[in-house]
Formats: sequence, structure tokens, C-alpha cells
Amino acid sequence: MSNNDKLASKMKAIVGEANVIEDPEKLKAYAVDGEAPGLFVAPGTIEETSKVVACANAEKLSIVPMGSGTKMGLGGILKKKADILLSTRRMNRIADYDIANLTLGVECGLTLAEAQEKLAGEGRGYFIPLDPPYSRNATIGGIVATNDSGPKRFIYGAARDVILGVKAVMPNGDIVVSGGKAVKNVAGYDMTKMMIGSMGALGIICEVIFRIYPKPDAEATLLLPFGTLNEAAGYLKMLLHSKFFPASMELMNAKAASGITASAGLKGPYVAAIGLEGIEEAVARQVAELGDLGRKGGALDVVTLKDQAHRDFWTAYRDLTGTAAKSSPNLVDLKSNFVLSKVPEMVMAFEAALKDASMEGVLTCRAGNGILYAAISPGADAAAKAAAVASMVERLTAESVKQGGNLVVQGAPRAIKEKLSVWGKTRSDAVLVRRLKEKLDPSGILNPGRFVAGV
Amino acid sequence: MERNQIIQELAKIVGKEDVMASEMELQLYGYDASLIPGRPTCVVMPSSTEEVSKVVKFAHDNGIPVVARGAGTNLSGGSSPTEGGIALLFTRMNRILEIDVDNQRVVVEPGAVTLDIKGAIGKYGYLYQPDPSSEKATTIAGNLGENAGGAHCFKYGVTSNHVLGAEVVLYDGQVVEIGGKSLDNPGFDLPGLLVGSEGTLGMVTKLTLRMMPKTEAVKTMLAIYETIADGANTVSDIVKAGMIPTTLEMMDNLTIKAVEAAYHVGFPEDAASILLIELDGLKDGMDRMTDQVVAICKKNKVREVRVAKNDAERDKIWAGRKGAFGAVGRLRPNYLVNDPTVPRTRLPEALAQVVEISKKYNLPIANVFHAGDGNLHPLILFDQRDADEMDRVHKAALEIMEICAKMGGTISGEHGIGVEKLKGMPFIFSPQDLAAMRNVKLAFDPDDVYNPGKLLPAEKAA
Repeated sequence: MSNNDKLASKMKAIVGEANVIEDPEKLKAYAVDGEAPGLFVAPGTIEETSKVVACANAEKLSIVPMGSGTKMGLGGILKKKADILLSTRRMNRIADYDIANLTLGVECGLTLAEAQEKLAGEGRGYFIPLDPPYSRNATIGGIVATNDSGPKRFIYGAARDVILGVKAVMPNGDIVVSGGKAVKNVAGYDMTKMMIGSMGALGIICEVIFRIYPKPDAEATLLLPFGTLNEAAGYLKMLLHSKFFPASMELMNAKAASGITASAGLKGPYVAAIGLEGIEEAVARQVAELGDLGRKGGALDVVTLKDQAHRDFWTAYRDLTGTAAKSSPNLVDLKSNFVLSKVPEMVMAFEAALKDASMEGVLTCRAGNGILYAAISPGADAAAKAAAVASMVERLTAESVKQGGNLVVQGAPRAIKEKLSVWGKTRSDAVLVRRLKEKLDPSGILNPGRFVAGV
Repeated sequence: MERNQIIQELAKIVGKEDVMASEMELQLYGYDASLIPGRPTCVVMPSSTEEVSKVVKFAHDNGIPVVARGAGTNLSGGSSPTEGGIALLFTRMNRILEIDVDNQRVVVEPGAVTLDIKGAIGKYGYLYQPDPSSEKATTIAGNLGENAGGAHCFKYGVTSNHVLGAEVVLYDGQVVEIGGKSLDNPGFDLPGLLVGSEGTLGMVTKLTLRMMPKTEAVKTMLAIYETIADGANTVSDIVKAGMIPTTLEMMDNLTIKAVEAAYHVGFPEDAASILLIELDGLKDGMDRMTDQVVAICKKNKVREVRVAKNDAERDKIWAGRKGAFGAVGRLRPNYLVNDPTVPRTRLPEALAQVVEISKKYNLPIANVFHAGDGNLHPLILFDQRDADEMDRVHKAALEIMEICAKMGGTISGEHGIGVEKLKGMPFIFSPQDLAAMRNVKLAFDPDDVYNPGKLLPAEKAA
């Protein structure tokens, strides 16, 4: 029996024969950066996950966790192929349903979409305040592990602001519980926050307790096309510093706008999209007043969306990158973070870099949070464009750092990733990142080499 | 190293005047607002990050513990030097370094007083949302150390949601930057780990905070009840109606009487409980929301709802709430304030249990609580000169923690574990949970320089 066969037997004993894949042909579907794993294992419970991880740890075998696989392009290239691709998809139950307490406990393999559907149908309607990309497929575990977020983070915050507790399997197999159903909790270290965004480097998130919200009384969207970047950014800046509190404030370029029905017909190279939620009177006032302020600020038009049109717009907006990836398999997906006041500077930097590289990109910006996403199509031959993309990424990273932030390559073909530092500029806190990894994953088995500072 | 030599070496770093070791100074800086006594070897007052780094390096190299200190308002013993060492006093480093309106950030030194920061940014029309009731005394880094909450948490979150970055001195004197003015900096959520770490992971020498524009309108109401249950049910119903008020605070009769005796703010001394409700946002619809809240109060047999008509009336209501602990402190020589949190829906049950415990141990307990968050503050009143009473106080406190833990809550909502709640940690954490946390401590401070004996219970010998 080969080592892999022995491992497969052990795994089958833990999760059941039907939940292990050994066939090299079938394993190609689970390749990470082009390399198939040694084994596919799908535990059905946190206890099974614990046993799988403990077993791997004892033999120093590497594990790459995966949900729906929407974000497998994120992170550095694995030093060697993964011994185990651990699928979370069988852990997909709702663990604790406590509407009266405004909390929901869910397993990691459930998609966010399914959790939202269930909540929407409950009583007056509730929701988890997260609206990241890949609206249909992304699993809760993957979203939380990568700290993915969407336009509504402006009003609700990101994962760290809406998650009250986490159950995780640590690299040594221990099941560790942090937080709970209480909204305030300072006992011990905030391990919940440590796990959020940790990309499977410190543990596998198996269960999450969310703070849920009641559906707002009223919702609407304003779309405002502008003729110049300065006018669009100026309008959004005014809004950011005003007493108004939209749910979302987004800035997109023409290429982004053209990819969504509601905005495709708008004339103007830049479109501001304002999402509004709240009580009826407040939403009505903002629709009127923000539209007026838009026109005064140079908006070429003001389009109001309600009901299904409003919902469809934001779903399509969230899914822009996923949609772009379908037509552009070599997609380079970048995320820049920077200080709030530098939106126009960053948009201009991206536009200039793209122009110089003769590439096109879908640009979407969380104008109220200082985050810019670029979905770039380098063209058919990724390897040939690798140097040009690398140079562009270097330049944009430098600009992001100059504006108080950094740049992450969220996905790119392997040939391009090999030439890049996907996590941007290393900072002085790398020492802490490394030490945490060393202490919590001394054998380096979880996602080795895929995270910041090479951990 | 012998004490006089330690003092000499430290004087070389910060200057003679900023190393204190007289008997009075050792006593003054040897305690905090908890009942946990301590005694430092000496007290050091640094003026810069560089001085902090050098002091820490010296302490590390000579095996001397370092216990950070702000205003000493810590309620769980976190600022008390229980194992001696250097009490590192940050009150001189109290400047507001930068009010960055364009980026909605304020950068401050650790010793800046929370209310002073709010005053400074208030002039520009901005708010720092966390509002621990002790904010006129606390230092901002003290808030960071405990992940302080306050009355506005229900809508706006706690300190951890508003601290975006920090400059930190590590156990060996190395200085690092975590987080920053921008969001989503790649890496682990180090600010998330640091906030609430009670001075055990690093010394913060600069903080970057989020500030938000002031809202257009605020409505503050005081609802008066004949029973605690009616008030608690009002809270449930408000939440069920889909509202997210900024504040939902309650007080019981014992507290009301103490507040009136101390401040005369007009709280009715014969009420069983009062509920402070605050709404904020745009003015549109706020009157309708207020009417809706009043209707819910009436449905729950409220005696009276007073809606503040202006800032002066609003301030008076808040003064009564924020001064509550101070007022209760006048009733008996000492109090121990518990800080457990339960899921909001279990709050009435938890309060009923606290009443039982008060009877069981024959101790008066005044109750102030963040009804929206399920965070109770039973204030157990006693006289520490009575040894028997002390013993009953500790037993009562432990029992309250255990009951709340069993309801799916936690033993500390905002005051921290310190020393005072170490015994309660096994109520909520398994040995595996604690082992993982110990690894975090080892990653940051492998030599246990920072605040030894706090937050994590000692590992049991095999």
C-alpha cells in the first residue's frame, strides 16, 4: 500500500468511503494553482474535521480547505501540492436559529445565499448583513476566512463587525470555541477576530454565529452618471462627510456599468451608485435630496431603482468579477485599500496603469471605505503578459502604499502569480503574523505558504 | 537586580523625575478600581514611544514585569501590579496627535482621556462612538485594553469596532505598526487581537481611531416602570418591532435611589425600574419612531414616558445613568461590580436569578444594565472590613458568572477578566480554548513580560 493509499484508508474510516476521492483524474477538478491535491476529503461534522486534521498533523501532511472554490485563486502558490483538499460542503446545517435574540449560528459549508433565503422567509424578514461577491455560490466559511465583503459594509461593517462567535478546528485537531450568542464579550483574547480573514492559516472555521438584522422598512437605489472623475468623487466625498447615512456608496467605471442592465444605458464614464435602507421617511428624503445634490454636483442624470430592479442591480454589481471571470479565464483580480480621501487618485492610478499596459479593467470602488477592486483581462496568453501585469501590480502597490494602504492580488493565472508578491508590501507586523503561525500551526500543515509573510 | 539599581537604570532612560518609588507613590499606583491589591517595584512615566521601547527592553532583559496603567479605573484588577514590576504610567503621553477629517480618523497617544478626544473632534462635527461611562476619567488605551463598551454599543459596537490601527511596543522593545488609517490591511486581524488583551500582549504607544459625522437628530426618552419585567419586555418588543435604538439602558430601584441622592436628576424614587431609550439618525420619521416606542412602552404597562425636549434635558438623563456607579458607591464602603452578558432574550431570567442570589448571600445588589446587549452590572454592596461579608461577596460573584455562562452568555461583557474573573474562565472555556489563547500569548510575549497573572488562568500542572 502506498502512503497515499494508507492515508485514504484512514480518511475513509473517519468520513466514510463515499466522501473520499483518490482517483487522480477526478482530483484534477480540485487543483490549486494548477496542481491537483493528493486526496479529496469531505468531513460531515466538526468532529470529523477534527479527526482529519489531527491525523494530518501527526504525519505533517498539508491541508487546503475549500468551500465552493470561488476564491481558490487567492494567496501565494503552495510550496508543494496539497496532501488533502478538505471540502467543507457537507457541513451545511443551520446550527442555531434564534430570531428573538437576533443571532444565527451556521455551519461553514452552507452558502450565504441559502442562509439569506431562510432568514428572508422568517417573520418580518431578517438578513445577515454581508453582501460579498459570488452571491449564489460562496460559502459562509470561505467568505469569513477570506474576509470578503460587499457594498453594504459601509453601513454594517465587515465580517468582524457582524460575527459574534466562531467554532474552529485548530491545526492540531483541537476544537476551539470563541465568542457565542452574546453581543458583547471580552473574556479572553478575541479569537473570533483572529480567525476572520485568516485564510485557513490558523484553523478551519466550521461554524459561525452571526448577528442578524431585521429587513429595513424601505430600500432604494440612486444611479448617477458623471462626466468626470472629479465630479463623481466630489459628490461621494460630500456624501461621506454629511449627516446622510446610505447603506452603500459605490463608484464604478463605464466598463463596470456596462455589465449591469440598470446602468448599461447611462451616459457617462463614471457612475455613482447609492444604496439606501431605513425607515420610509428617511429613504424618501434621501432619494429626493441626494438626487438633487447629485445634479448640483454635475450628475448627467439621476435614476431611481426600487423593488426588484433595485435588488437585481446590487446582485449583478456584487457578481461583476465572477461574471468577468467567465468570459476572461485569465482574469487578474486586484484589491487595493487606501485612505478614504484618495478615491480619485487611486482610480486615476489604475486607469493610467491599465492604459500603459493596453489592458481593460472593470473598476468598482467602495467610495466610503477606501477599497478599489479591479477585474482585469490581460488577454489570451497569460504567460506572455506576465511581466507587464507584474510591473502594473508593482506600480499600483506602490501607489496604494503611498495612499496609506496596500494591494492584494485576489486571483490571477499561475504564470502571473509566480512573478508577484500577491499580498503586497510586507510591513513591520509581519513578525507577529509569523509568530502566530509558528505557535498555532507549528508543523505548518494548513495552507502552507499561501498567506501574508509567506506563512 | 536590586531595586535601587533598577530605579537608577530607568532614570537613565526617562529622567529621574519620571521614576517614582516613594511609599506613597507605590501605594497610589498599586491599586485600581477593583478589589485586587498590588504593589509595583516602581512607577515609570514615559514621554515617547522610544522611552517606552527602552523601558520595556530593560525590563525584559532583567526579568521585570511591566504593568501598563492609564487612569487606574480598571474594574477587574488589570492595572494592579499583583506580581510587582514596573507600573508603566501613560498619562503623560496624552496628546491628540492628528484630527484627520478628510479620512475620518483621529490619531492619539495612549494616555489621552476619552472624553477629551470626543471634545476635540466634536468641534469638527465628528463623534467617536464608544462611550464607556467612565469616559471622563479613562485613557483611550485603557479602553483598548479592556475593549470597553458603554451605552451606545447596541447600534454602534464597542471599542474594537472603532480602533483601526496602533503602534505597539512588543515584549522585547521592538516597535511595530498594526492596522492603520485604511481598512482591510492584509494579514491577521492584529488590532482585533490587541483590543481587549488587557495589557498582556503589547504596549500601545499610538492609536488610530475611526470618527463618524454627527447624526442630524437624536431622541432621548426615559420610561418609568412598576416592575423590572415590564421594562425588560419593552426592550424585547422594541427589538421585535425591527428597531435598532442607539441605547437601551435600565436601572433598578436601589440604583435610582442612589442616583437621586447623589445628583438629583429627577428620577422617581418609587419606580421599580427606569429604561433609557435613545434613537438617532435623520430627523425624518423620528417622531413616528418615537411614537412607536412610546406605544410599546404603554403596551408594557409603563407609568410614564418622558421625552427630552432639548439638550439640557437629555444631558440630565444621561448624567443620571453615567454617574450610576459613582452614586451606588456612596451606599456602602465597597462594591464589586459584576459584568456578565447573556443573550438578550434571557435577560429577565438572569435578573431574577440575581435577586435570588442577593437573598441567598444576604447582600444588597443594585442593578444597572445594558438591556439591548444583555450585559448586566449587578453591583454587590458590602464592607470589606467584614471578612465574612467578603467571602459571601466572592461566592455570589462567582455564582452570578456561572449562571450567566450556563444561559449561553459570557462572564465579562466589557470590564475584562483581570484577576477578578480568572476563576470564572472554566465556565466558558474548555482546556482546548485556553490552550489556543496561551499560544496567542506566547506568540506576542513568550517571556511573559506584560501583565503576568492576568486574563489567562495559570496552566494546571500535569
